[in-house]
Amino acid sequence: MEFEAVIGLEIHVELNCATKLFCDCPNNPGDDPNTNICPTCLWLPGAIPRFSAEALEKASLLCLGLGAELQPQSAFDQKVYYYPDLPKGYQLSQAHRPLARGGGIDITDEDGRPKRLRIHHIHMEEDVAKLVHEMEGRLPISLVDFNRAGSPLVEIVTEPDFRTPHHAMEFLKALRTQVRYVGSSECSMENGTMRVDANISVRPKGTSQMNTKVEVKNMNSVRHVGDAIAHEIGRQSQAVQTGEAVVLHTRLWDPDKKVTLPMRGKFEGPCVPDPMVPVIELTPEWIEKMRTRLPEMPAARAGRFVKQHGLTGEEAAFLSEDPEVAVYFEALVGRGIAPRTAMHWLATQLIPAVKERKLELAAQPVTPERFAALLKMLAGDEINANAAREVLTHLFESGESPEEIVKTRGFKQVSDTGALEAMIDQVLAAQASAVADFRAGQGKALGFLIGQVMQASGGKANPKIIRELLAKKLNAAS
Amino acid sequence: MDSIFFYRNPDGAASGDGPLEGLNIAIQPNISKAGWPVDAGSRALARFTALEDATIIDRLSRSGAFICGSTKMSEFGFGLAGSLAGEAVKEKIAGAELMMDMTGECRLAAAAAGVCGFKPSYGLVSHFGLIGLIPSMEACGVLSPSIQNIRGILKAVAGPDEKDFSLPDEGIPDFTTKALDPLKTAIGVLAEAQSALTAQEQGRFRLSVSELQKAGFAVREVSFPEWPLFLTVHKIVGSVEASSAAGRYDSVRYGERAPGAKNWNEMYLASRGAAFGTLLKSFLFQGAFFQFQRYAAYEDACRIRARLVEDMKKRFGEVDFLVLPVSDGASDPNPATLDETCRQFAGTAFANVTGQPALVLPPASAGHAPLQLAGPRLCDAALLSLGEQLLMLRKGGK
Repeated sequence: MEFEAVIGLEIHVELNCATKLFCDCPNNPGDDPNTNICPTCLWLPGAIPRFSAEALEKASLLCLGLGAELQPQSAFDQKVYYYPDLPKGYQLSQAHRPLARGGGIDITDEDGRPKRLRIHHIHMEEDVAKLVHEMEGRLPISLVDFNRAGSPLVEIVTEPDFRTPHHAMEFLKALRTQVRYVGSSECSMENGTMRVDANISVRPKGTSQMNTKVEVKNMNSVRHVGDAIAHEIGRQSQAVQTGEAVVLHTRLWDPDKKVTLPMRGKFEGPCVPDPMVPVIELTPEWIEKMRTRLPEMPAARAGRFVKQHGLTGEEAAFLSEDPEVAVYFEALVGRGIAPRTAMHWLATQLIPAVKERKLELAAQPVTPERFAALLKMLAGDEINANAAREVLTHLFESGESPEEIVKTRGFKQVSDTGALEAMIDQVLAAQASAVADFRAGQGKALGFLIGQVMQASGGKANPKIIRELLAKKLNAAS
Repeated sequence: MDSIFFYRNPDGAASGDGPLEGLNIAIQPNISKAGWPVDAGSRALARFTALEDATIIDRLSRSGAFICGSTKMSEFGFGLAGSLAGEAVKEKIAGAELMMDMTGECRLAAAAAGVCGFKPSYGLVSHFGLIGLIPSMEACGVLSPSIQNIRGILKAVAGPDEKDFSLPDEGIPDFTTKALDPLKTAIGVLAEAQSALTAQEQGRFRLSVSELQKAGFAVREVSFPEWPLFLTVHKIVGSVEASSAAGRYDSVRYGERAPGAKNWNEMYLASRGAAFGTLLKSFLFQGAFFQFQRYAAYEDACRIRARLVEDMKKRFGEVDFLVLPVSDGASDPNPATLDETCRQFAGTAFANVTGQPALVLPPASAGHAPLQLAGPRLCDAALLSLGEQLLMLRKGGK
């Protein structure tokens, strides 16, 4: 029997707010343990949660960016469970009345066809404390770090529209791009600002039944999500074929053994409305105000790049994936650099150079202004491509302008035909066999001869002029 | 005297500056005053010390009042078993006492002590620093022989608090005394509220109501057929909230920890089992039952609550105030079970369910019953004016 999987994702995204969700403590979970705490996030008796306006704005932008509809009313509930990471006995989460409903992401499936993956709803909740398990001699101990307790999270719950690991991976990549775009979170699975649980069930292909699902956790990269889903589909398909019942439970992905292992029975406690956090009412005016703060989203931006700058779809998608790259690209074009040149030099030179130096594009010495000045000299034949690459290296280390670097370090292109003709004559005299090859019809000998002249010029010759002069001389002499 | 108090202010009475200068106020140990032990009457909070002043304490201190100590209280302020609230006021050690009213505790304690007891509207007084049990129903009330004191305290503490966003943004009522014209003021007697009274109690209640008529108010009967549902809703919604709110008492950072547990789960169970008293445990069990086993009933109760709130509003289209009987605890001074406790509050729970203000006045004279007056939400100032006017008449004023 052939099986197909029915997959839904629950994605927790930690908002990059300055403070926690219900108090003014800094939202820096990575600081020294228990330094960002107060009576509210320790939930001491008498403390009252005070809902953060910044968290509401960042969560709302995230929802709008994903095309979800902000609800006029949403509210927090108490999700009851008892565990040392949650000393007040319940987590504040929007279980019944979420912040937003609907929305979705368009991906390209394995066969290159567009597929829409829908979002069911998006709600806010607080993070819980972090447990650190250690050994004190031979005694196992558990320490509780409250820095993370009360950090603002949103949870994106999808519809069970996913059928394959590829769908899940593409969705997560696009989600990450879009959330980074609106600036609400770094959305990194590696550092835990995005955490993904996958709900997976299998059914005979072609049927529409919904079978018992299994929740898989503990994947810390997009790749792991794909691997874990693939493994779980295989495991469940086999279980069904051997007549084993699939029961509702949670499994943990073991990235070393590449298997999912059972964890615990799923607790489904009913949530009661929290009486202390006020109901959140969003007016149409406020929602509109948020919408105006929304940047151009990647898909729209890529479409515009194709139309406005004549790029290919692939080039436009590359430039739009990271908002910093897109902004940088447009800054270059705005300074009169041809879009293709800007695209090419960004993709092949500047971005790799920035990565190599472990810098951020938005905060490094080669500003769009300096890079544009360099590319202008290239376009104006003042320097050649070789020189431009070298000047770029200098731009990272020196505060001088590209013009100064070219001038003081002698990168200026040699376009003086007299000087070049002298070099060419020397090369032609020394490379008689190559000249003979060219005359015998071997076109590639021309390239070799250009290279030789270039070398003789110390890399500064204008290759276009060399080619013209060489061609003239070789043809004249024959 | 120390038989009344749980903790006495170690500082001598400081002469404060402000409108409440010279007023000694007793509190209960579920109201935070920085550095004071606040165990909320429970072993679950043993050795817990308040880190900050509750907003109401801060505001009272700024108004010149002196917080003289905290009195012995029932566990988490639920019911009156073990409570000595009202005694400090009765013995004139304090001019007023602050007490949480979650089922009617403040009003009943006042009735038993023969003083006035006031439960303000929900949302008028900050919860910050109050160790409550039923957040959507409780409000910090005031006991005092003097309504002027109650008015002064409300004036000092009421209003928005940036530490408590649960307060609706409704502004601060004007607490200045405004004389009510009896001819233009209608007071309704809820027929259904008397049905649970004995014949003798009914007689005493009617005698008390006649005081209003003698004062010239138009007293008329008002019907509220769903009256018994107030207590039912309170039992379900209140206990579910309490069960969730009390989840934090785990013996880890304060409170008494039962020895011998092999893991954290056993530790929670054993410590919670040992810490809570029988009455509170019954109430929390009831809440857990509705939350986990009868969730639909809980949802029904929430819907019924919304309907009761609307129905109550409609009554105030017919009359300006309501008058209701209140138990003075004489018939059952020491209820032992949850059922008996709830029965005591049959006449008061409505105001906790709706969030409206209610005021208890001591009996006018022997043979009378204490009188409970209630008004629509946020009419606190007018309700206090009504009470003040009646007390004036008793003194022979006009």
